[in-house]
Amino acid sequence: MTEQAIQVSNVRLEYRLSRSNIGSFKEYAIKTVKRQMKYESLWALDGVSFEVAKGEVFGIIGPNGAGKSTLMKIMARVLPPTEGRVIVRGSVAPMIELGAGFNADLTGYENIVMYGTLLGRTPERMRRRAWEIAEWADLTDFIDVPLRSYSSGMLARLAFSVATDIEPDVLVVDEVLSVGDAAFQLRSEERMKILIERGASVVIVSHNLATIGDLAARAMWLDHGRCMMAGDPNEVIAAYKQTVDGGAP
Amino acid sequence: MTTTYYDSDHARKPLASEVSNLWNHRGLIRLIVTRDLTVRYKRSTLGVWWTLLNPLLTTGVMWVVFGNFFRFDIKSDVPYIVYLLSGILLITYFAQAVLASGSAIVNSAGILTKVYVPPEVFSVSAAIAAAVNFVISLAILLIIQLITGVGVPWTVVFIPVVVLAMLALTAGLGLLIAAAAVHFFDVLDLTGVAIQLIGYLTPTFYPLAFVPEKFQWMIKINPLYSYLTVFRDVVYGNAGAELWMWAYMIVSAVVILVVGVYLFSRSWRRLVILL
Repeated sequence: MTEQAIQVSNVRLEYRLSRSNIGSFKEYAIKTVKRQMKYESLWALDGVSFEVAKGEVFGIIGPNGAGKSTLMKIMARVLPPTEGRVIVRGSVAPMIELGAGFNADLTGYENIVMYGTLLGRTPERMRRRAWEIAEWADLTDFIDVPLRSYSSGMLARLAFSVATDIEPDVLVVDEVLSVGDAAFQLRSEERMKILIERGASVVIVSHNLATIGDLAARAMWLDHGRCMMAGDPNEVIAAYKQTVDGGAP
Repeated sequence: MTTTYYDSDHARKPLASEVSNLWNHRGLIRLIVTRDLTVRYKRSTLGVWWTLLNPLLTTGVMWVVFGNFFRFDIKSDVPYIVYLLSGILLITYFAQAVLASGSAIVNSAGILTKVYVPPEVFSVSAAIAAAVNFVISLAILLIIQLITGVGVPWTVVFIPVVVLAMLALTAGLGLLIAAAAVHFFDVLDLTGVAIQLIGYLTPTFYPLAFVPEKFQWMIKINPLYSYLTVFRDVVYGNAGAELWMWAYMIVSAVVILVVGVYLFSRSWRRLVILL
């Protein structure tokens, strides 16, 4: 345990909302000249720091709009922090908003190859793995069918199967456990647990407090972009619950 | 696997980061290029044949209008149809490449806000797809040159130089426009108009001599005039390309590419949050 898998120090992220509602260059030019450009800063994250050790499962809870998804995207390298620093060691599997880049005109096979390559794997590897990925998602009969004929459940299964067909060092998970029907949910949870048991470091965001309580070794409660509390998951969950239920048991 | 080490403090190094990003994602670029070429015509009956049919039909229309009604005298050994088609192919390539490359990043916002892919991959892939499209469509020009007795000179071996210069030029412009389009979507409409203007300022269907002498500098200053003259010179011979045109073509390509990549690289960190 020499190095942390994830180090997040003093991360702040600013969204600029322009009150003037400017959509075109002309308006922008006019308002800039007239000095009417007014930004309202929204700090989606406001000084968040934490570390995740190798092989540790770290849970994040908090109400809607707390900045959980933004934090996930910063760890997944999708968004750069406005201030502060993020270091992630090892290969990352981002399990946030699965199915990016799915194309309705392409077949299941073509989408498996494309999606996996977008996630950073080689097309050769994806062509080799395509059949097994479709098999796990129970979609081998549809592998040569364009995605437009897939149901939303089938799409979710395909995306999950591609996203988890790896052995990552770091997993960034955003409530994706809840895809597909009951049977598929069981299998996907099982698969996630296997990935975790293999020693991946995991950051998991969920509204399902029981999931966090079961899986996480440590947890953080995020609200309005700030860390309210971090530490033992049961204590953090209890404290968070108190504010939500207004103190009711 | 994606990255094995990510530090948000490691800023992009303009040019170096882009070169290594593109090289590391060459597999993805190949996939996007083939997808671009196949998906575009996936729902049409004739499919990829439209790559050849499209410029042929445009040329047909313009040949009727400018070859018969207006009758430009191009003062050249080649038939008007060859002159016209060579111009239309190159200008269409430029227009398609710049527009596709410029809109590639806003069009890929759905991907870029979900997984980490260096955004320049999408712009450059679009420019490459347009180049491949152009090379395929050259087949009709060469066939028409054979039919009309112009023949195919040995200088066609220099076509790749023109294609590569155009690739650099359009990728550079594309990256600039792509970055601007994240800020203001209107930039893409503006680009369409600008491309049309540049197209008319290039002697595709008229000869340079048709333009009054005092305005000819406006055409010569347009880099596409050099591109087109060099292209015509290598594809059917004696179009009168001079050394300065070769130089202007290559220098403008390199300068625009470097400037485009540099400015893109410097601005991306502030742009990604706006997607």
